[in-house]
Amino acid sequence: MKDAVRRLNVEYGFNLSDQEIDLVAKQAEEAALLFQPLFEVDITDITPLTKIDKRIKKTVTRKKGKK
Amino acid sequence: MKALDLEGLTIGEIAPLIRKKQISPLELTRRYLERIKTLNPVLNAYLAMTEEGALAAAKRAEREITKGNYRGPLHGIPFSIKDNIAVKGATTTAGSKILSDWVPDFDATVVERLKEAGAVILGKTNMHEWAKGSNSINPFYGTSRNPWDTTRVPGGSSGGSAVAVAAGLCLASLGTDSAGSVRNPASLCGTVGLKPTLGRVSSFGGVAGTGGYTVNHFGVFTRTVKDCALVLGHIAGHDPKDPLSSDEPVPNYTKPIGKPVKGMKIGIIKGYFEQSLVGEVRRAFEEALRMLKALGMKTQEVTIPHMDLVPALQAASTRPEANSDHDHYLRTRPRDYSPGLLYSLIAGLLIPAPVYVTAQRVRRLLCQEFDTAFEKVQVIVAPTLFSTAPTIEECNRGYIEADGQRINLQDRAGNFLTRYTIPFNVTGLPTISICCGFSSSGLPIGMQISAPPFQEGTVFQVADAYEKVAEWYKRNPQL
Repeated sequence: MKDAVRRLNVEYGFNLSDQEIDLVAKQAEEAALLFQPLFEVDITDITPLTKIDKRIKKTVTRKKGKK
Repeated sequence: MKALDLEGLTIGEIAPLIRKKQISPLELTRRYLERIKTLNPVLNAYLAMTEEGALAAAKRAEREITKGNYRGPLHGIPFSIKDNIAVKGATTTAGSKILSDWVPDFDATVVERLKEAGAVILGKTNMHEWAKGSNSINPFYGTSRNPWDTTRVPGGSSGGSAVAVAAGLCLASLGTDSAGSVRNPASLCGTVGLKPTLGRVSSFGGVAGTGGYTVNHFGVFTRTVKDCALVLGHIAGHDPKDPLSSDEPVPNYTKPIGKPVKGMKIGIIKGYFEQSLVGEVRRAFEEALRMLKALGMKTQEVTIPHMDLVPALQAASTRPEANSDHDHYLRTRPRDYSPGLLYSLIAGLLIPAPVYVTAQRVRRLLCQEFDTAFEKVQVIVAPTLFSTAPTIEECNRGYIEADGQRINLQDRAGNFLTRYTIPFNVTGLPTISICCGFSSSGLPIGMQISAPPFQEGTVFQVADAYEKVAEWYKRNPQL
């Protein structure tokens, strides 16, 4: 993660110190751990939520083999 | 004009007097401006006053009412507006250094609608930098102080708005809420704070980068539930300038006020809202539930299977959305952010796109789970925060001590002060925070009431029924 922060540091011109790079990398690592469980949820056939309706519409499950 | 005590005053009380010409809108506005001049140096609720515009609007209101052209219950009513909502001709900083001299040449739709209703805009309220935090400790404009104890924070990010309403420095205020930024300060300052359904109120004129697109809501602060219903009725509704605004019809939100709640069911989600819950808050919340039951409501446990994913969903949604708005300033003025916010925004650049999209898919699942819960109950009720207002010192050191425990205000899952409010941001559900008691040291405690999408009326019905028996809104901070 530190390498990724260093790349951003150059690309954006942040002028981060080594200590700041460590701090940001640590935050990014912690966030990655936080997001991990999202990939363990079965979201087959579930589309992204982009708008709130009166009732949240369930995604119609496609029959296998049909697109 | 009648002798008038601005402390504890409500729109419901003052509007009929304005209509009957017993109260002059101009005199009322002048009284508020004087009170702000006296108390704002201590409370730091307002960042900028719009005195000239306020007096002109008040004079116009007075002229119209004298001629018999009364526009309705917001005519001549003094409001404040959070500093990330555009008001034409008024500096709008979003609590940031970067926008310190931005003066919009247009009104946000909500401001336009308030002005059409004859409201008077007194000024812009203090907030957390870029609305990215929940204590309103602002490195550029100073900290807003909690009127119940000025050594404590008011919450945030709309801290100044809550302070202004609680301290009698306006009758109502508009704020924004992408993680609890209306309900959190409402709870800590003892006011009513409403986050309507996502899309119920236009977000046009909100400063980009002060809230995610899919979790940000414009909201309302008032002293009473009835006042809140009145304000929402004027600002809600589709706006062609905001493609995310809903075209659901706007009902009369004051109609459910006063309706009995007997037989209605309250859903209680076990587990999530018990994390580090401080004893005094738990007791006040349980007492509030007892009062709701005494009104004839029933409680039922409801299960939301993916509730534990809420902090991940919130972070995965708001952070990439914020980064999309901040990219330009990150490249051109990175050191004009406070260091903490800069680091957080840079870390946000490292969130992979599949995380964002997966989060939006899991959010639909979560919303379906809430939908299923609402088949059994009419409202879900929960504490607004795990504790009362922390001191400024506690916020700076990063933890509080309560019930013999050390509770960190920030953990891997994010900001703990918003842990109880974010479920209703990722689901977009209409949710109100109302006062449900006071701690032994006299600090307000808040309770959230949430209902299915676009059922703000149900939220108001239950909140009003409770408020009328509890009467916490009658307490005022000693200033």
